Amino acid sequence: MKRDIYLIAWVLVLLALPMRGAFGVQLTAGTPEIFKQYSEHVVKIEVVETASAAKASIGTGFFADKLGRIVTNYHVISKLVHSPERYRIVLTDVAGQTSAASVLGVDVVYDLAILRPDRRPKGFLALESKPVEQGTRLYSLGHPRDLGLTIVEGTHNGLLKHTLYPKVHFTGSLNPGMSGGPTLTQSGQVIGVNVATEGNQISFLVPAERAVALLEKTSSTANPAAASFLADVGRQIHANQTRYLEGMFGANTPRVELGPYDLPTKPTEFFRCWADALRRKELPYVSISHDCSTDDYIFVSSEQSSGIVRFFHQFLSTEELNPLRFFTLYSAQFQAGNAVMFGNEEEVTPFRCQTRNVNAAKGKLKAVLCARQYLKLPGLYDAVFKVATLGGRNAGLVSTLSLSGVSFDNVQSVSRRYMENIKWQR
Amino acid sequence: MAALGYIEILDVKGNAIERHGIESFPVSIGRAYTNQVIVGDPYVCPMHLTIAPDEQGRLIARDLDSVNGLRGQAGDRVATLEIQSGSQFRIGRTSLRYCSVDHPLAPTAVDGIELVSRLTSPFAAVAAGALVLMALCLESFLSSIERAKAINIISEPLPIIATMLGWAGLWSLASRIVVSHFNFAPHATIACVALLGTSLLGIGSEWLEFFFPAIPMLWLLGLLGYGLVLAGLVYGHLGFASFMRSRARLRAALAVSIAVIGMNTISYFAARSRFSTVMEYTGVLKPVDASLLPATSVDQFIAGSQKIKSELEGLALKAKVSQP
Repeated sequence: MKRDIYLIAWVLVLLALPMRGAFGVQLTAGTPEIFKQYSEHVVKIEVVETASAAKASIGTGFFADKLGRIVTNYHVISKLVHSPERYRIVLTDVAGQTSAASVLGVDVVYDLAILRPDRRPKGFLALESKPVEQGTRLYSLGHPRDLGLTIVEGTHNGLLKHTLYPKVHFTGSLNPGMSGGPTLTQSGQVIGVNVATEGNQISFLVPAERAVALLEKTSSTANPAAASFLADVGRQIHANQTRYLEGMFGANTPRVELGPYDLPTKPTEFFRCWADALRRKELPYVSISHDCSTDDYIFVSSEQSSGIVRFFHQFLSTEELNPLRFFTLYSAQFQAGNAVMFGNEEEVTPFRCQTRNVNAAKGKLKAVLCARQYLKLPGLYDAVFKVATLGGRNAGLVSTLSLSGVSFDNVQSVSRRYMENIKWQR
Repeated sequence: MAALGYIEILDVKGNAIERHGIESFPVSIGRAYTNQVIVGDPYVCPMHLTIAPDEQGRLIARDLDSVNGLRGQAGDRVATLEIQSGSQFRIGRTSLRYCSVDHPLAPTAVDGIELVSRLTSPFAAVAAGALVLMALCLESFLSSIERAKAINIISEPLPIIATMLGWAGLWSLASRIVVSHFNFAPHATIACVALLGTSLLGIGSEWLEFFFPAIPMLWLLGLLGYGLVLAGLVYGHLGFASFMRSRARLRAALAVSIAVIGMNTISYFAARSRFSTVMEYTGVLKPVDASLLPATSVDQFIAGSQKIKSELEGLALKAKVSQP
């Protein structure tokens, strides 16, 4: 009897060995099943130029509720929001069937949009708002570079710290075209919407709870006029400004010293700051710079963004150049970078500037304020505020503050607080 | 017999074009050949006027019942007119002036030819060239922000000097064709002076912009300055390359200058209305004691920026109208 028990035990152990092996490869073996099981709920989204029938942008979306509504990124369909008369949406499912869709709602701040397809889907993917443990295996679906529906494995690495807008850090390779696609757990719960990548397996997802919130806010049946979304985008950006600009460069702003200058740095946690110095033997001057910028921004259109705040201090000094020569350098630095990379005449006005010698608290400054207005989003401006300290002979500071997609009141108030934060010993 | 005075026939500007000596009175004036003073004007009668002294010794001009009469300096028709030395009157369409022999004369004008010839001598051209070279080298030194090497500082202005010499050479060729003389030295001097003027204007406008950035359209003042330098340049060159009189040269110089200023202004406004992502501002900084600088308060700066907003609203409105 005892011998029989040993025999049965050995048989069980021997049977269990291949089973453990099977469990060990379950993650990779599960990927095809996940793909098979959930791919029918994922669609390719193309924004097509009506006149030429050519696609202007491509992305991914997924059916997110029983009403058949689709969740995707705002940036995938932004062209349609900006020029509804020029573009239309074409959806293609995994079987290759195409249908049209209309926009139901957008959340420009979190880069989400809700679409209503013309055809009712078979099912949908459930959104999971509950937090997921770091290290959880995740699967992302999408159409990278229009190569066909693809599944990408990766891991959940928690919410990004110190960002203005919460994002899930997904260690997996998202590529252009996968934007708006779902990232789900093994059990098929969508925990985030693909939104951005920084290459080398560093990718970001919009937390699913933001998509749930937008679905709740968005009417399921009414079909709002396409033109109304642009006004909605403007309102959302206006409302969002107070979140990050209120109190920026207030009295408690951390300070950094550059030579005799006492300057603002890292006003909030969501800024990243860098410093560098240019000291080369062949140069008769020294340049020390301190650069801070928000990590995050709101995508408005391919030519516009909002919410970027950047400031740059440059301290210049010389022991060799005479004052006239030093000021040739100083003037050149003050006038450098007077062109911005983005913007076209359909989106923004040209810049207009004001230059004055200003009596600041600690001395005189040459101050320049330049601004341009958004044409399709009234009341929003890009602005650059520059100051240079005056009165020195062989040292000076050039400081530049750039704001994008903010109201003119905020341009004025933030510029004022920034100017008040520039202090120095004479 | 010595003349008592002269009757002068004047042109429209009041300059004497004919003088008739008067040896005795009365003097008869008219179109007929029997008169002492013959006036070839179809509106003047053959026997139009006499001038004779009255009992008190005053000279009186008397109209001889002419068709178009005698008119005083004010233009009113009179039968008689008292004449003194320097008096002007008109018969028909001809203006006349009587001057006695003791009529006071304007002081003798100084002949400027000697001064001009000194300024346009080869020596002046060399001196002006040296001055320009020094000024350009100084500018090159002050605008260099790297360790200055003498060879770089001297070589940088050479293309400008070469262009200037080429310019003077072209004018010399024109001079040779028109006035049969090259006049290279004066043309080179004129080009040097204009170049110095341009440099000084550039420096002046930079300092002006630095001190008074709030003055709008300051660039227009600079453009006017450049216009004047250009007018002076053309005026000077034409003096040595043509037979044009002073007034004609001035008109030509001003015409060229106005045309160039006009084209520049038009192209500025055309460029300003075109879309651009460039921020245009005056960012000139100078090593000046801060206490000497006029400055506004922070409040004024912020309040003033409201003008940018208004201007942008205008641009946005214009853009919306022009967009399909």
